[in-house]
Amino acid sequence: MRYGMVIDIDRCVGCHACVISCKAEWEVPTQYDRNWVHRLGPAQTSHGLSYTYYPGLCNHCETPPCVPVCPVEKVRMTMQDAKTGETKTLEVAATWKDPFNGTVQIDYERCIGCGACRDACPYHARYINTELADENCLGKADKCTYCMPRVAEGLEPACVQTCLARARIFGDLDDPQSEASQYVEKGAVGLTSPAVQIGPNGLYYGSKKADMELLMKSSAPKEMPQVSTRRAALEAMRLAAKKQVNAVGVFGLAGALIAKSLSSGCEEGK
Amino acid sequence: MAMNLTRRNFLKTASIAAASVPLSRVAARAESGVVKTPQVAPGSFKNTKTVVGGVCEMCFWRCQLVGKVRDGRLLKLEGNPKSIDNGVSLCARGNGGVAMLYDPDRLKYPLKNVGKRGEPKWERISWDEALDICGKKLKEIVDKHGAKSLAIFPHGSTARYPMDFFERTVGTPNVSEPSFFQCRGVRDMAYITTLEIAPDEEVDMANTKVIFLVGSHLGENIHVSHMKKYLKGLERGAKLVVLDPRFSAAASKAHVWVPIRPGTDTAMLLAIMNYLIENEKYAVDFVEEHGEGFEEFAEGIKEWTLERAAAECDVPVAQIKQVADLLAENMPNVAIHPGRHVTWYGNDFQRERALACLTGLLGAVGVQGGLVKPKGPKGIKRINWPKAETAGEGDLRRMQDVHHFHPPGCPTELIREAAISGDPYPIKGCVIWGQNMIQTIPGQDRTIKMLEQMDFVLCTDIMPTDITMYADILLPDCSYLEKYDFIKTGTQWDFSDEHQQYIAPRMALVEPGFERKDSVWIVNEIAKRMGYGDKIPVASQEEMMAQSLDGLGLTLDKIREEGGIHIQPGEDPYGNNDDLLVHFFSEEMDDYDYPAIPTYIPVESPPAGFMRLLYGRTPLHTFNRSINNPWLIHEAPINPVWVNDKVAVRLGLKHGDTVRLVNQDGVESRTTTTVKVTPGIREDAVYLYHGYGTRNKEMTFSVDKGVDDTSLITKITIDPESGAHGMRNNFVKLVKVG
Repeated sequence: MRYGMVIDIDRCVGCHACVISCKAEWEVPTQYDRNWVHRLGPAQTSHGLSYTYYPGLCNHCETPPCVPVCPVEKVRMTMQDAKTGETKTLEVAATWKDPFNGTVQIDYERCIGCGACRDACPYHARYINTELADENCLGKADKCTYCMPRVAEGLEPACVQTCLARARIFGDLDDPQSEASQYVEKGAVGLTSPAVQIGPNGLYYGSKKADMELLMKSSAPKEMPQVSTRRAALEAMRLAAKKQVNAVGVFGLAGALIAKSLSSGCEEGK
Repeated sequence: MAMNLTRRNFLKTASIAAASVPLSRVAARAESGVVKTPQVAPGSFKNTKTVVGGVCEMCFWRCQLVGKVRDGRLLKLEGNPKSIDNGVSLCARGNGGVAMLYDPDRLKYPLKNVGKRGEPKWERISWDEALDICGKKLKEIVDKHGAKSLAIFPHGSTARYPMDFFERTVGTPNVSEPSFFQCRGVRDMAYITTLEIAPDEEVDMANTKVIFLVGSHLGENIHVSHMKKYLKGLERGAKLVVLDPRFSAAASKAHVWVPIRPGTDTAMLLAIMNYLIENEKYAVDFVEEHGEGFEEFAEGIKEWTLERAAAECDVPVAQIKQVADLLAENMPNVAIHPGRHVTWYGNDFQRERALACLTGLLGAVGVQGGLVKPKGPKGIKRINWPKAETAGEGDLRRMQDVHHFHPPGCPTELIREAAISGDPYPIKGCVIWGQNMIQTIPGQDRTIKMLEQMDFVLCTDIMPTDITMYADILLPDCSYLEKYDFIKTGTQWDFSDEHQQYIAPRMALVEPGFERKDSVWIVNEIAKRMGYGDKIPVASQEEMMAQSLDGLGLTLDKIREEGGIHIQPGEDPYGNNDDLLVHFFSEEMDDYDYPAIPTYIPVESPPAGFMRLLYGRTPLHTFNRSINNPWLIHEAPINPVWVNDKVAVRLGLKHGDTVRLVNQDGVESRTTTTVKVTPGIREDAVYLYHGYGTRNKEMTFSVDKGVDDTSLITKITIDPESGAHGMRNNFVKLVKVG
């Protein structure tokens, strides 16, 4: 099973309801967005004028660059297929790609908020919620989860439910019968470019060449971001060291020095 | 500046409003053994109660809602699954209602202005003191100058009860609703004059073959079930024709976009009709059966050849012909959209008459895809204040014998003019309920003058707005989520579906926060203090709802049990044309010496160096009550000014430049905005989203953001038939800043 989201830009009217419903559903702080609508144009294309929209969200990519950069120490995690009950045990850091449904998820407990995953995403789908910073983390990474907790309860993703235009088609791209797969047949495509080929499962369909041209030109990322994994690793070490010091309960001179030297190392790592 | 409303601050304010409720916390055990508690939102479906009976009022379309409530705090609004109107969908504003409810800037207590009007200093006072002042002041004014010396400016369902009290029982004729005089009243009166039908926006777009929009920018202007009709029509293959100087959201989906010269729509409509008549491409039998004065009409518009209209409208002859033929080929199943906010040029009654005549000429009434009034539920009782014998005395419009085709109430301009001049009588008391006149009515300096000469100004609202700065007493209203005040009725939106009707009374989803009160309570208390205690029709909002539903055998409890909406079998809305008359030539208009066939009245062109100021909707805002919504303003923080790309090159403007707007009278915008360079607008016009540039500092999320388009509309034009303001006859230039 491979969850995906097709957005039919013929149908989309650019009302932004998807964005606001997500804010309410997941209590997303005002300044952050798990999804977004960019209004594109009116602009001239080689097929005439276009005025369209880029409703974006995490693409839950096939080879998500946000996953391998996570510096958090890996743990063994057993995952279960909601349908068959089959289990798989994987070694994962604080973010991973689900082996059963293809979604990319975050462990909010273990995330240290270093920002490596945010920096690695060419679609800018992640943010660090710094309001959740505490002594063990700089905040928490967050993004669209394809509303997996809602889906588990038999509900549609919040953005899909509220869409008055039925422009968002959520479903299993591995199932050829799904509406989402039919859209792939019709020509729905991901926002990719020669340098960015990471298998996005967020796909876009538009019958007007002008609209698709404008969407691709303005919104498909042109290059993969460069991420400093060294910096992220140092951050992880610093926080781990600090946590140990805290745990021992002797936040004395020695502990402070360790933490300080690690954090200055972090500065150099820039 | 970054949005300064962090989640924690938001929750802080939220919890003040709804008793202190911690977010559910997920406790996690770290390796160290230290328990940490990161806040992870569990989702609106977890451990929440679904409260039914909500009816939205982020705009006036009134979608039906359910609320997800946890520990008394509203987390999310969703479309009511039982709804046959909006269904489970809501627009962005509807979804944003939560952020309105807990907006920390909202009015919370009765306030007294101990500073100056316009530069208020607020002192919190008790309800008793506030009501005593209102009662005493309003009574003094009525005793001294008569009921007519009160001016009432109401808006929305919350204001109906106060409006009725002041208009019927106190008896002032000086009541003006902007939703009529600045929006749709002209349309309704023109259609009633022509087709004897108040059209609303009831075109059967879902089942039509052509959707014809004049300026209606559906997509930027969003009403959920209306959009569903529109999209369903497009899905079923309807052709979309859009007349708009701008490549709007609708134009971008159109098969034919006509980038018409602003102000010339009527000329194009006349040419289309003349062409259809000359080529016998109209609904001949229909016109024969239902038409009145067709000969005079046909004769009168003969001068409107395609060529003449092409020159006037700056549109190719071939395109006008293409549109006319498309309509003729598909008649009578064509949806000639009557529009909504139609007060544009001060000649708007004539344009709306032309649209109604075109509808008649194509036989597009009561048929699939045409103008079709749904058959909604009947029997809801309207609770009214008793009408005083003296009610209506001193009607300014009658005294001046003008604007004979005015919508209900008095044209706003007549009230304002009389108040400023004191002629023919003084207007000394002002009650403003749920509307921001500063940003709805052009000529802001005159509105302020009017207010300054008042002996007393009362404002009631849910939010501080630009107009509340001028109140002496400012009262906190309950929002639509905190009260009972309106019964929304209708039918299923797609007439090809099973015919059904619905009745959805607005019920509170949460308790009112702080000291907010509903308008029935407030008005009753003022009425008692003005000496009208014995005239009070209902004791409470709940009683008003109960009485309204009484004749239907329904109660709020029953409807709540049914999921917040009562559904019953409906009726086929098609084919009811027996009594239909189409007044192509209006004898009634002729009697009052108005042009009796639709007539094109040219408007002034932009002076050299200026462009016409056009404005419209963003899907993220409706009224002042939405502009300060933290979620919505974050999505659309300013209103960039659309400028044609060729013009931008000539003016040396680049995309993103900061500019100030200056109008033909030298009036400068108080704030600045950025330039949006686009080929999607004509060279002779610029465009802004309406409703930005708030000046009230109490609106901390929206103050000074973007530019207030209304502040630049200083040249006042008045539609002679209706008395409504024309608001697109002002011109601006852009001055680069920095």
